[in-house]
Amino acid sequence: MKYLPLVFRNLLRNKLRSLLTGGAIGLAMLLVCFFLTMPGGIDRLLSEISSNVRVSVHNKGGVVYDMPYAYVQRVRSIPGVAAVNGEVWFGGAFEEEAMVTFPSFALDPDAVQAMWPDYKIEPIALEKFRRQRDAAIVGRETMKKYGWRIGQQVSLVSTVWPVTLTFRIVGEIPNDRAPHFWIQREYLAQAMQAQDRDLDTVGTIWVRVDDPAMVPSVMARAVEMFRNSPAEVTAETEKSFFASFFGSLQAFVQIILVVTALVALCVLCIAANTASMAVRERSREIAVLRAIGFSRGVIFGTLVAESMVLATVAGGTGALLTYGFSALIRMLAGGSMGSNELGPLTGFLVTPGIVAQGIGLSIVVGLVAGIAPAWGAARRPVAEILREVF
Amino acid sequence: MSLPISYSVRNVRARLRRTSLTIAVIALAVIATAVFLALLSSLQRTIVSTGSPDNVVVLRKGSDNDGSSMLTLEAYQAIRYLDGIARDGEGQPLVSPEMVVQPTVRTTSGIRENVLVRGIEPMAFAVHDQVRIVAGRMFRPSSGEIVLGLGTVGRYEGAELGSIMPFGRGRWRVVGIMDAAGSSFESEIWADARELANDAHRPFPYSGVRLRFAPGADRAALMARIEDDPRYALEAKLETEYYAEQAKSSRSLYFLLVILAVPVGVAAGLGAANTMFAAVQARTVEIGTLRALGFSRATILRAFLLESLGVSMIGFVLGAIGTLLLAAVLGAVMGGIGFAAATFTTNVVTLRVSAGDLMAAFVFAATIGIVGGLLPAWRAASLRPVDALRKA
Repeated sequence: MKYLPLVFRNLLRNKLRSLLTGGAIGLAMLLVCFFLTMPGGIDRLLSEISSNVRVSVHNKGGVVYDMPYAYVQRVRSIPGVAAVNGEVWFGGAFEEEAMVTFPSFALDPDAVQAMWPDYKIEPIALEKFRRQRDAAIVGRETMKKYGWRIGQQVSLVSTVWPVTLTFRIVGEIPNDRAPHFWIQREYLAQAMQAQDRDLDTVGTIWVRVDDPAMVPSVMARAVEMFRNSPAEVTAETEKSFFASFFGSLQAFVQIILVVTALVALCVLCIAANTASMAVRERSREIAVLRAIGFSRGVIFGTLVAESMVLATVAGGTGALLTYGFSALIRMLAGGSMGSNELGPLTGFLVTPGIVAQGIGLSIVVGLVAGIAPAWGAARRPVAEILREVF
Repeated sequence: MSLPISYSVRNVRARLRRTSLTIAVIALAVIATAVFLALLSSLQRTIVSTGSPDNVVVLRKGSDNDGSSMLTLEAYQAIRYLDGIARDGEGQPLVSPEMVVQPTVRTTSGIRENVLVRGIEPMAFAVHDQVRIVAGRMFRPSSGEIVLGLGTVGRYEGAELGSIMPFGRGRWRVVGIMDAAGSSFESEIWADARELANDAHRPFPYSGVRLRFAPGADRAALMARIEDDPRYALEAKLETEYYAEQAKSSRSLYFLLVILAVPVGVAAGLGAANTMFAAVQARTVEIGTLRALGFSRATILRAFLLESLGVSMIGFVLGAIGTLLLAAVLGAVMGGIGFAAATFTTNVVTLRVSAGDLMAAFVFAATIGIVGGLLPAWRAASLRPVDALRKA
């Protein structure tokens, strides 16, 4: 500890170099932490949106395959089921702007509260959603994105059904993770009937189970119930259901991790370069220190400490700055990142764990970078160095 | 009087061992950015190369992709007999009605992906002339047979010639493999249109049609006629435009690339500057001597810049080699890289480093070298000979 002032003095001796090295390490470490936020994005999103008592029952072939509507009531009869809500993909799009930008579903308005109490939708909105045939409840993010207000009318063309419908927004889902647009199943059914078509299918049956311990048995019963029927089903927890949408992101996540490792290696080389430059330039002084009685251990220790202090301060600062950086990126990207193919990866949410990893990595980098040059400097015979210089 | 290039070269060589860490920094920065860039451009190439400039995509108005479109038999029949459509040897119009379904399929590693299954009629091979059956044969209609795009082979359970692949409601026999010149048709599975529509319980027989212009046809007129028919509410788009729009969804990936490249580039530049400052410092006397001998400031500046550029170029060469190696390793380990496009289906992308990617990496490395070397070179050039020599 008593040599700490020496370490700091050495660091401040070539301020420009310390600044350049520190800047480089800090920047690269910021990047490492920023990229580390991406793989965790999927898990976090899943645990945020998922409830452990909600189960999705859907066609074994995937959500684009439907099931007979009668399945909803049959699932309801399974012991342990508290509520069911059959959902149909409406695929709403603006007529002018041909982009499907939010998931829109037709479902049963009477079973919304029972199915999604955790969404905390206002009772007044739910009441209107039940009463008004053309009512829609919309996720807050989607409302914000299009600048919609409650009471506003929105016209959407369905990309699945041959209808264009006008809805009145009666309330919002007050959380960021449900960008949905919910409409009454009955409204869609009537519009179809006007064309002599029946709406007799359902895409996903959401099931709410009384007791988390009952979930496996409910899922097993649902699968068993429709075995050997024309529409065999898969039942899975909400988390596993949403996870399946992100399956193809895994390869991308792996590449992000490879790139992150490369950047971390970059940090190591920058730190090692500075450490070896410092040792090289100071070889005479180190020899003098040794000559007047400082031990090899002290020389080695102070040099390694110098490298570690620099890396830790710079890398730690970089890691902490990730908070601001990712906030800035989120702001710059605006809504454009949320609804793209990378979706859950681009929340860029920095956690204390990620920052701690960044700081830990910085300490290790400082240590590893400092060891070789410091070892070399401490080991060289004093006489040899002094002979070289004088 | 100018210093020969060999002065800079020798200086680098004299300190090559010491400079090696800076070179490593630049090489690593090059690898990180180039691999990412290669991934993006491979994705772009796969999607964009799918369209043909002579083809038109007809979808229901309001649909941005054929997975969310639908078309009646009457609309298909009406389109078939419009003027301006190419015909095959037997006089049949090159109009391919297609039904797109995206079932969830399990990969051999247990991940679920949405695969684009395209229900077609034999005419599809005439319209999409880049698609060829390279193994096995074309499926027979209504017999539960399918052909696989090259990218799906081995990726999904049962995706092998001759085996049974379960998806949707059915179990399908793989009878052929198709090559589509690297385009995203290779990530698809093709089946009989009618059979697929039945399997998916689709209320309409088709999602859309693709057609080919006759040579010299009035293209705008044909597209306008399709769009203006009030009975069907259709939208016609050039196939190239259609896929360019699909590729646009990877814009956010470019945003990420910039987020990666700028900080890494700056960090590497700072590292390079560090090394150059050390070089200038170590050679103060030498610079003073050169100046005293009559070499101009501009000459000194140029020599040091050249040196920094040289270092970054070595970094580039090593980085480029590293990128090619890493891409090869990633390709071998991961196989095709699955990418869910905005349309929800998986594009299987083969990671390939193109000449363009390496050019971009070259510019990147050169910028690092020049910008990183500028300040140190400036300092070297502005040394006063008297001060520099006094240090001796």
